[in-house]
Amino acid sequence: MASMTVDVSPHAGRGSGPRWFWNALAHGYVWAWMAIFALPFLATLIYSLRTPDGVWTFSYYQYVFGSFRENLLLSFETTLITIVINLLIAIPAAYAIVRYPIPGKSFILSTLNLSLYTPAAVMGVSLVIAYAFLFRIPQTMIGLIGAYVVGTFPLMLVPIIVALRDLPMVFEEAARTLGATRMQTFWRVELPLLGPGISAGILLTFVIIFNEFLVTLFIAGPGLTTAALRVYNLARTAGFQPSTAALATTMQLVSFTVVLLFFHFFGSRYLKGTYLI
Amino acid sequence: MTRVQLVDISKRYGPTAAVEHFNADIADGEFVTLLGPSGCGKTTTLRMVAGLVDPSGGVIRFDGQPMNAVPSHKRNIGLAFQSHALFPHLTVARNVAFGLEVKGTPKAETERRVAEMLEMVELGDYANRMPAQLSGGQQQRVALARMLATDPRVLLFDEPLSALDRNLRDSLKYSILELQRRTRKTAIYVTHDQSEAFAISDRIFVMNEGRIEQAGSQLDIYLRPQTEFVANFVGDNNGIPGEVTGLVAPGGEGEPRLVDLVAGGIRMRGLDPGNVRPGDKVVAFVRPENIEVLANGHVADAPNIVRGRVDQIVFEGPTVRLTVDVDGTPLKVISGGLERLTLLDKEQREILLRLQDVTVVPDDPAVAA
Repeated sequence: MASMTVDVSPHAGRGSGPRWFWNALAHGYVWAWMAIFALPFLATLIYSLRTPDGVWTFSYYQYVFGSFRENLLLSFETTLITIVINLLIAIPAAYAIVRYPIPGKSFILSTLNLSLYTPAAVMGVSLVIAYAFLFRIPQTMIGLIGAYVVGTFPLMLVPIIVALRDLPMVFEEAARTLGATRMQTFWRVELPLLGPGISAGILLTFVIIFNEFLVTLFIAGPGLTTAALRVYNLARTAGFQPSTAALATTMQLVSFTVVLLFFHFFGSRYLKGTYLI
Repeated sequence: MTRVQLVDISKRYGPTAAVEHFNADIADGEFVTLLGPSGCGKTTTLRMVAGLVDPSGGVIRFDGQPMNAVPSHKRNIGLAFQSHALFPHLTVARNVAFGLEVKGTPKAETERRVAEMLEMVELGDYANRMPAQLSGGQQQRVALARMLATDPRVLLFDEPLSALDRNLRDSLKYSILELQRRTRKTAIYVTHDQSEAFAISDRIFVMNEGRIEQAGSQLDIYLRPQTEFVANFVGDNNGIPGEVTGLVAPGGEGEPRLVDLVAGGIRMRGLDPGNVRPGDKVVAFVRPENIEVLANGHVADAPNIVRGRVDQIVFEGPTVRLTVDVDGTPLKVISGGLERLTLLDKEQREILLRLQDVTVVPDDPAVAA
């Protein structure tokens, strides 16, 4: 993240060597790792800006405004729908799991989380088989979103469960005794107080779905090419052209921007949850 | 204006009973305290009145109407929690407005009422703060304003002061009493702190192990404990096991009936609990402040007068606390007034004591001494 500041300056009184030297070393260490993490992205960016003859140009980005726009929109659409469905499933599920005495809670939880440990290729194959033989919905939008939901809704569920568990019952009881119905209590008290958990779930789902391509590769039919899948396809068919790098860079920037915007608008209040003290 | 009746209320969790056969008839405007150690069922009882816990048996009535099937949000009650339970995401004003908003009160009316309530708890300037920006005492006052804003029929308090420090507790308990007196609402207050209960209640229900041990005024509870538990739990006491030797013939009209007994080798005359006969095992209770140190020259050979040796003297300022050994029975004695100063050199010496206001309760083998 952009706001990554690490205070590794040695404390006063350690007294070995001049202070500036240790400071420089500490900062250098952090920046070196930052550079290593950023290197693949920077390399792609540079590659997308040069012709094979070594001329700097933005011309490869013209494809972004062509058919790649469709792919990006599809990615946003599927991600958004998946997030909404995940929320609709995860909030009541978390509520039931935390607030009601269901037998076999831990078994249910570990089963629900199964998809997180399943290799994406295995998941893809399984879904293709299931869709083809059971539901007859392969290669459709419904199938694609179904696959995303199955794969990511634990990412939404777990943060909400944690938030709900940490939310004292006393707020619900206070609301109830003040005359609020169950629905009013949920909308006015619990949902706002679950904000940190819900935003964490939304962010995780977005990051995973928007960038997901392996399961998509198995499930998506023609006309359902997401941005990530398009980049993969281009790399496979056209090779590592600067135009492919331009699409990859664009995708990276879009994803990065969305996360930054999210932090900007919700981060301070909802993700940190400091007002809960 | 609500009379609250609890008729044979009980709550069982599996085989364990949290509350058993709880009966109470609380008059309109009365301030009642449920007093007892933790786990005695007082909070469970309160939560049943609030509708947060369903009773396993019995009926709860407000003004004669059965409330058992009425959900919490329709009972029109105000509940103060141990943690103030203010909604952390809402301002002070929105917290106080909450109950009015969910009931669909018009906006202007809500605003007027919120201002009035905040003024009442002297927090008018804090309307736009967040709860986390207030001190513990201010938070609890906002919680009081919030519970009063909807004009509830019954006020319920679940140890609202136990999380606060001592000074704050002392001032807030009188604020609570004053608010209740001013609004004339029926109030049920749960606490384990007897000084709190004594300061604010019209009537105290002492509870133990899910049952009412004794219900009555502060004076009843303190001066006329009816069970061993109450005698030991409320205030400081000397409990001496003994045996009834005879019933004293009743004196004139209105005079208390007395019994003779021998406890700890001491011949005593105490108040007749009404249910003992000669030969019954009993426990005699004498409060430390009801033991008088007699000047020399008194005759020791009379009931309630004993000779003992002073084991320990602690000067506590306004009082002196003695431990006196009477034939192997240690007695706690508290002496006040100027005469306390004459006792300070009595360590290891014999003194004469008069045991006054001896309370007798039947020996309950279930209560360990």
